[in-house]
Amino acid sequence: MARFVIRRLLQSAVVLLGVTVVVFLLLQLVPGDPVRVALGTRFDPQTYEALRARAGLDQPLVVQYFDYLRRALTGDLGVSFRSGRPVTAIVLERLPATLSLAVTAVVFAMLIAFPLGIVSAIRSGSLVDHAARVFSQFGVSVPDFWMGIMGILLFSGVLGWLPPSGYVALTEDPGRWASHVALPAATVGLVTASILTRFIRSSMLEVLSEDYVRTAEAKGLRTRVVVLRHVLRNALIPVVTVVAVQLASLLGGVIVIEVLFAWPGIGRLTYDAVAARDYPVLQGAVLLVAALFLLVNLLVDVLYARLDPRITVK
Amino acid sequence: MSRTRFRLAGATIALMLAAVAGCSGGEGVDVDGNDAAGAGGVLNAAIGGEPDQLDPHKTSAYYSFQVLENVFDTLVEPDANLEMKPALATGWTTSDDQLTWTFTLREGVKFSDGSPLTAEDVVYSYNRIIDEKLNNAYKFGTVKSIEASDPKTVVVTLNAPTPNLLANLGGFKGVAIVQKANVESGEITTKPVGSGPFAVENYSSGDSIRLVRNDNYWGEKPKLDGVRFTFVSDPTVALQNLRGGEVHWTDNLPPQQVPALLDGDDPTVRSVPSTDYWYLALNQARKPYDDVNVRRAIAFALDREAITKAAKFGLATVNQAAIPQNSAFYYEYAPYTHDVNQARQLLDQAGVSGLSMDLMVTSEYPETVTAAQVIASQLEAVGITVKIRTLDFAQWLDEQGAGKFDAFMLGWLGNIDPDEFYYAQHHSDGTFNFHEYANPNVDRLLDQARTETDQAARKQQYDQVAKQIVDDASYIYLYNPDVAQGWSKQVSGYEVRTDRAIRFRDVALAR
Repeated sequence: MARFVIRRLLQSAVVLLGVTVVVFLLLQLVPGDPVRVALGTRFDPQTYEALRARAGLDQPLVVQYFDYLRRALTGDLGVSFRSGRPVTAIVLERLPATLSLAVTAVVFAMLIAFPLGIVSAIRSGSLVDHAARVFSQFGVSVPDFWMGIMGILLFSGVLGWLPPSGYVALTEDPGRWASHVALPAATVGLVTASILTRFIRSSMLEVLSEDYVRTAEAKGLRTRVVVLRHVLRNALIPVVTVVAVQLASLLGGVIVIEVLFAWPGIGRLTYDAVAARDYPVLQGAVLLVAALFLLVNLLVDVLYARLDPRITVK
Repeated sequence: MSRTRFRLAGATIALMLAAVAGCSGGEGVDVDGNDAAGAGGVLNAAIGGEPDQLDPHKTSAYYSFQVLENVFDTLVEPDANLEMKPALATGWTTSDDQLTWTFTLREGVKFSDGSPLTAEDVVYSYNRIIDEKLNNAYKFGTVKSIEASDPKTVVVTLNAPTPNLLANLGGFKGVAIVQKANVESGEITTKPVGSGPFAVENYSSGDSIRLVRNDNYWGEKPKLDGVRFTFVSDPTVALQNLRGGEVHWTDNLPPQQVPALLDGDDPTVRSVPSTDYWYLALNQARKPYDDVNVRRAIAFALDREAITKAAKFGLATVNQAAIPQNSAFYYEYAPYTHDVNQARQLLDQAGVSGLSMDLMVTSEYPETVTAAQVIASQLEAVGITVKIRTLDFAQWLDEQGAGKFDAFMLGWLGNIDPDEFYYAQHHSDGTFNFHEYANPNVDRLLDQARTETDQAARKQQYDQVAKQIVDDASYIYLYNPDVAQGWSKQVSGYEVRTDRAIRFRDVALAR
């Protein structure tokens, strides 16, 4: 197990190196001059040249890249072109907001998707099943920003239950954190729940048709035992992958939702950095997201072995 | 069997509902816990985006200046009519040749950390902008030297008379007086130290900036304990925040709702004409836009009222020149009445038919996108096919810089003295003359007016410039927008300013 984890970590490092190259090169292809965006409309040519030199943008690309890589290896992701602050600090301080939103959204999604998926699989063709399918169709087709705005108008405008936007750290005040995270998490969670419900339903249906399920029922086991121990456990394997992929992509920041709800996470940081062509911040944010993605995948592989003894980690 | 299944599902759903119910227990209004008796409270202000940084000399973002207006001071500052009034300087004299300006500083001014603000700080601040070639270095183009002859006196020596020196030194907080220690420690980007009515207490990236009252402020003490700026980019959400009480003030209102909001009294929404102007520019380095008749044809083909209605929901004043009516430099001139026949005739004269025009607009300013559609349909009526290109601002600036456009629409914001915008945009050496307009007569007048110390003569020169620019259709000016801001009933003492400066120093919060 330990050897497996170490090998995977080494592989991850190679992937991350690849990510830095790709991101760095892609940014060069994006049109838009960061210096002009930073200066706005009023400046003189000397000011332009001075800022370009200060940001190191007058150096050849190769020099810029290796300079970046050399510092990145020591944990220094450079300095934000716009704010003049260290990128490592900027990116890390956005992590708690994104983490808390992503985890809450996934938990919320699971709370809906599991009962709904299980019931609609067991009672396939029933009213609940149809309702579940309508729900998941709705969830995947309606744009999340629209759902977010509707949520704000209903829960904040009409009912006045929740604040329309903003952020309070979980560590600062858990109650107020919860009231602020509810709407964005529910908005994101609904989409995730729709996807999950479908997966759970189809995965359950597949397992339900297995011979050992019939055997279990035939030997007189109670339904709850059959469903929970025999069906659900076996149906979980593909579901774990989907949950993990969803979580990982949410950790990358839910750009539209974070912008809409003024949520200070990675997504909003990325959005602002793209608009400002703040390359160092963008590189740092992408690198962090890639690292999180790899980490979640590693955890999933380890989890597989726990869920299904047939899978062994070598 | 079915009963068990439902119990299982039911339990989970109940759990979920409990979780949601638990979430809804959060309170609505939040005044940040500062509930000390007799205190002035903390005003929550929602602005449309996050400042890139808080160093006034290095940022160019309006979001930064919304905050910094309350933190920093300049030697002089614009009053409600945009006339320069004493701020850190109580008075000034000019030499007979207009080349030496002597400013006397206010007694006992301190930075918010308690250290004194002296003439040396003024010299340091200005030299920092000039030597490091920072954003506003161009405002010091005629400055030869800046010296502190004593702790209370700053002497500015010029290469040429500069009638708009006061506007350059005080027009906005981009030329604010900063503290050397604060700059050298690097803290100025997140925790700047100024001498203004409030001081930055905390900057939480992505979330908020908290200001506290500066007890060392030289002017009348602010009534508020502080101001908390949050960044809400969606105007619908910002308005919802204002209505719900989480926010006391915002300038990020949905434009289509402003006309209705102006009639209501809760929240209070006020709008005043701004000094900004929005315009269409035609690339004179490209054919056929080098032909004045083609440009004039387009100017005649446009119905400015319709454009303004669509782009600003009527919250703007149409104008065929740059300067709005409330300015001392206003020049009434409107030769282009909406006239399709005249436009067609001019195009015929130019020998142009079946013209296809590339119009570049930016999603950064949604009003340009809306206006472009109206402009396209109006130009279609005179046989010009408009191809609208919507770009993000970074790319837009790239294309503009490279001259890759037939036409673009943009605005110029926060204008005070005509030297700045006319020279940059219409002088053949101007830094913003991307449409390559060149008229020797205009160049000569702009050079002359730049150093003309007789105010009446200077006004006359700019009137001639204005007329020539409109006649040449260098820019086809469209409108001066209003600036609309809203605040809750608790807020008193706030005034919307035409230059969009956000000043909270006289504001009180009823509780």
